[in-house]
Amino acid sequence: MKVNGKNITEILAINRRNFIKFAVGGAVGTGLSPLPWKLLDDTAIFTQNFPWVSVPEVGEFSFVKSVCALCPGGCGIEVRKVGERAVKIEGRTDYPVNPGGLCPLGMGGLQLLYNEGNRFTGPMKRIGPRGSGKFIDITWEEAIETVANRLTDLRNKGNAGSIVAVDGNPMGSTISTMIERLLKVIGSPNYMRIPSSEDTNQIVTNIMYGKTGPVTYDLENADYILSFGSGFLEGWGSPGRVLNAWGLWKSSPLKDRVKIVQIESRASNTASKADKWIAPVPGTETALALGLAHVMIKEELCNSAFLNEHCFGFSDWKSTDGQTRTGFRDYVLKEYSPEKVSAITKVKVEDIVSTARDFAGAKSPLAVCGRGKGMLNGSVLEFMSVHALNALTGNLNRPGGIYIHDPLPLSPLADMETDDIAKIGLRKERLDNAGSDINPIHHSLFGNLSDRFSKNSQPKVDTMLIFSANPAFTLPDGGEFRHIMSKVPFIVSFSPYRDESALMADLVLPDHTYLEKIDDIVWPAGIQYPVYGLTQPVIDPLYDTKNSGDVIIRIANKIGGTVGRSFPWRNYETVLKERIKGLAEVKGGLTEFDNSVPVWKQMQKSGTIESDYRDLDDLWKRLKSGGLWYRPVFNQENIEGLFATETGKFEFYSNKIKDIILASNQKDTGITVTGDEAAMPHFEHSAPEEDTHMYPLKMVPYELINLSSGWLPNPPYLNKTIFDNQLLKDESFAEINPRTAVEHDLKQGDRVQIESKKGKIQARINIFEGAMPGIVYLPMGFGHTAYDDFTRGKGVNPNDIIVGGKDPISGHPVWWNTSVRLIKVLI
Amino acid sequence: MEEKKSHGNSYGMVIDLDKCTGCGTCMVACATENNVTVRSDESDKERCITWMQLYKIDNGKPFPDTEVSYFPRPCMHCDEDGRGGHHSPCVSVCPVTATTIDHNTGIVSQIYTRCVGCRYCQAACPYHARYFNWWDGYSYFKPFAKGMERSLSPEVSPRMRGVVEKCTFCHHRLMRAKNQAYAEGRRELKEDEYITACTEACPAQAITFGDLNNPEHKVHKLAKNGNAFRLLEKLQTKPKVYYMSSKDWIRKLADNYLPDQFKPVLKNRSGE
Repeated sequence: MKVNGKNITEILAINRRNFIKFAVGGAVGTGLSPLPWKLLDDTAIFTQNFPWVSVPEVGEFSFVKSVCALCPGGCGIEVRKVGERAVKIEGRTDYPVNPGGLCPLGMGGLQLLYNEGNRFTGPMKRIGPRGSGKFIDITWEEAIETVANRLTDLRNKGNAGSIVAVDGNPMGSTISTMIERLLKVIGSPNYMRIPSSEDTNQIVTNIMYGKTGPVTYDLENADYILSFGSGFLEGWGSPGRVLNAWGLWKSSPLKDRVKIVQIESRASNTASKADKWIAPVPGTETALALGLAHVMIKEELCNSAFLNEHCFGFSDWKSTDGQTRTGFRDYVLKEYSPEKVSAITKVKVEDIVSTARDFAGAKSPLAVCGRGKGMLNGSVLEFMSVHALNALTGNLNRPGGIYIHDPLPLSPLADMETDDIAKIGLRKERLDNAGSDINPIHHSLFGNLSDRFSKNSQPKVDTMLIFSANPAFTLPDGGEFRHIMSKVPFIVSFSPYRDESALMADLVLPDHTYLEKIDDIVWPAGIQYPVYGLTQPVIDPLYDTKNSGDVIIRIANKIGGTVGRSFPWRNYETVLKERIKGLAEVKGGLTEFDNSVPVWKQMQKSGTIESDYRDLDDLWKRLKSGGLWYRPVFNQENIEGLFATETGKFEFYSNKIKDIILASNQKDTGITVTGDEAAMPHFEHSAPEEDTHMYPLKMVPYELINLSSGWLPNPPYLNKTIFDNQLLKDESFAEINPRTAVEHDLKQGDRVQIESKKGKIQARINIFEGAMPGIVYLPMGFGHTAYDDFTRGKGVNPNDIIVGGKDPISGHPVWWNTSVRLIKVLI
Repeated sequence: MEEKKSHGNSYGMVIDLDKCTGCGTCMVACATENNVTVRSDESDKERCITWMQLYKIDNGKPFPDTEVSYFPRPCMHCDEDGRGGHHSPCVSVCPVTATTIDHNTGIVSQIYTRCVGCRYCQAACPYHARYFNWWDGYSYFKPFAKGMERSLSPEVSPRMRGVVEKCTFCHHRLMRAKNQAYAEGRRELKEDEYITACTEACPAQAITFGDLNNPEHKVHKLAKNGNAFRLLEKLQTKPKVYYMSSKDWIRKLADNYLPDQFKPVLKNRSGE
């Protein structure tokens, strides 16, 4: 058969020519048909609809008002809920602390709630080696019984003093009161608090003002702010409030705009955005403050009326034996001339002089202290010098000045019962010597504990209870406390999170997160009027966790006897309500806030206001819906009776320090100068002595507002805000000045070993003009070995190489200055 | 700023860089509001998604005169150029009309289900404001972070793999505000009724949001301030995001200038 003159067999033959024709024809044909496109489209749609692509459930919108408890700042938050899920945290505009704004940590808080990878889902017992994170679930009954039995055993053996509690909750909070109470009734004096700026502030108010209340600053009304390293933009104080104040400062008309002067060695955000940046050598800030005082005194720019009437030890004075003693004035005039101070701090003489003049010339000058986030402890001598500067201006308890208050009038808890075991136990000396004759003004001294352990390898601690703290990560001691923990026979963690310390625990009794429980925020950091906040359970607890307050009550009841009787409450909420009684009795307390009249604008007012609640029950009801109690402070022209020191005045010469020095070996206080200046603000090289030949550089850690550096994990969303010259893959960066880089033959991105006497860590180099030459800056908050993939193994923790040393008077670690050397890592 | 021809609203924002503290709350607020995905390695800036992104800049001066500052960068919602024609760079290249500019609001939208993932828009955007989903959004990190999908908001659809996403000026908030207004029998929104999540969250009130066409709105005045400028203005993309700074070195970094081309704003004009 023939087709078109060709044999059909020829056409159908499978030869090369025909095969190509067929293949090309097929391809063109299929391509012209909708088939491949349809298939491609279908595949795309199919893959985009994989069942694991989340589709958020819809539901009714609701808003719950609460208070943020992620830092001592206590900002008001409003949580948007859809059905039972919390979907967004927003700042409250009806809360006086933070009119609407929040910090990044507060904004990312939901990931601390919902990220199961970082949370304990119920009580657990360790089965793997310490730190491995291998736990098995147990029941709450078993967990509470285990703890109660162990504590009872130790009590019966007369060994109650080997029970140590480590508490990271803010000072004065009800939960802290409960923990301290538990330790007391079981007979252990060893209630320890993580060192914080609260300690430093309390020591300074104690020795200079004779008070125990918080130090607060009326930032909003000040017109010249001299910040000694306080990172207003790094999360200092209550970030929602301070950042709001920053916005206010920058929106006032130019001619009466607030002037902010930042004293810090690195071009931090605060230093960059401030009106003036003064960069002294880290650790010499005290000398700078005294240099400023010198100029003010010399040029007679001080508030002499205040100094004469309300201060002791400023002018020369006569002691009881009739001797004339040198006062602060003559001491500063003699020792801290701008030239001398300039030599110590490397700040130009003209800068010292002009800053002192501007400061003294301002209407409401305010000097502020507390480094970085203002959460870690500071140098007592530096704080004293800053308070002395404020006293020179007399800007105390006046709008735009420092306000020294009495503590919040919360009712003390009912008396506790102590049995003989407890009485004997409490008479024993603390393991860290705090509160003894030698250290009368201290609460806890972690450094002494380390000393003791290094001398004596036999641990004196049997059981350690850890609350809201992650000492294995956050203590700036070169890993010493971690070493202690590894030797402690039994550790109980109450952390809701799988942090480093919890992973070292033998038993975990997880707390709720702050969004699942009721708890109090006693006086948010630095707020110039009394505020009390109450967090609300925004959602029902996600997991089998319990409020630590309730767990403490149950443990106490399980132990029974006087211990049980000292915790007679049904639950933690009853305790909170009992403490509120004191607030209910105060006149002029308010539970509602109108955003149009900020409280700081009322500071100038006089007169009294009526409380907006009737009685305790009414107040409690209001607190449970709004979470707020506050009392505006009206102008207190009368500062009589403000000071409760021995002399009844603000003490430039502190009689308390004098007593401490007399009672102890002066060497133990860390003060090296002798004579009267030892009890006055003075400058000491507080950094530990180092062989500068071996370790020629200084390492200064710095804090970031967008990175959690405390005991809480970092919400993954915050990782988005970290720049890739701060963290790249698993390596964090050390910032150094280009000059330092040249000296060490380092280029951007090079890897270096940063070595101190305590250890070495590896980081990459970020060359930054804003770094002081000779200093290595490391961010705090990286280098976790716990938590999940979002956090673990990212960067290094500067705490691991901090040598610490002891700050004079406070005895707390000097974390801000460590001698190091850099060694280039060649790969 | 020359007069706009477009009628209706023209939503935009003014960011005061003197107030901006670089804290990053805007970035976090944006991510939580808009169900933005998060990866275990967010330091890979070419892969991670940040509708609102902070850029850190410094004045390049040696110690101790160094200063740093930040540009918070949302989508600029580029307008037409005011001479007729020419769309926002991304809108004009999108082959499937997955991104369009709404003439009644000025908002440049992004329709995920329409996007074919060709990424032309990403290449066209001079501000790097567009991000491609290399992985399925919230399923990607499930093995690493169980449970975080519980905070997803139903107002914004989570994105799937293979599509481009970007800042929408929290368009769902506009919808929410409009619904509310309509329910109350109003056709016009009040000034603060519709603001973006970043505006609301900024603790220093550095961001002002509103209708640039409405002389009553704060943004209208602020955008005409002597210190106001926009990023890469010379490209004629007409961004609706304005910045304000009293510092010349910051304004100079907002665009590429030939020598002597940059005109410093006189000192006495700042804060006007």
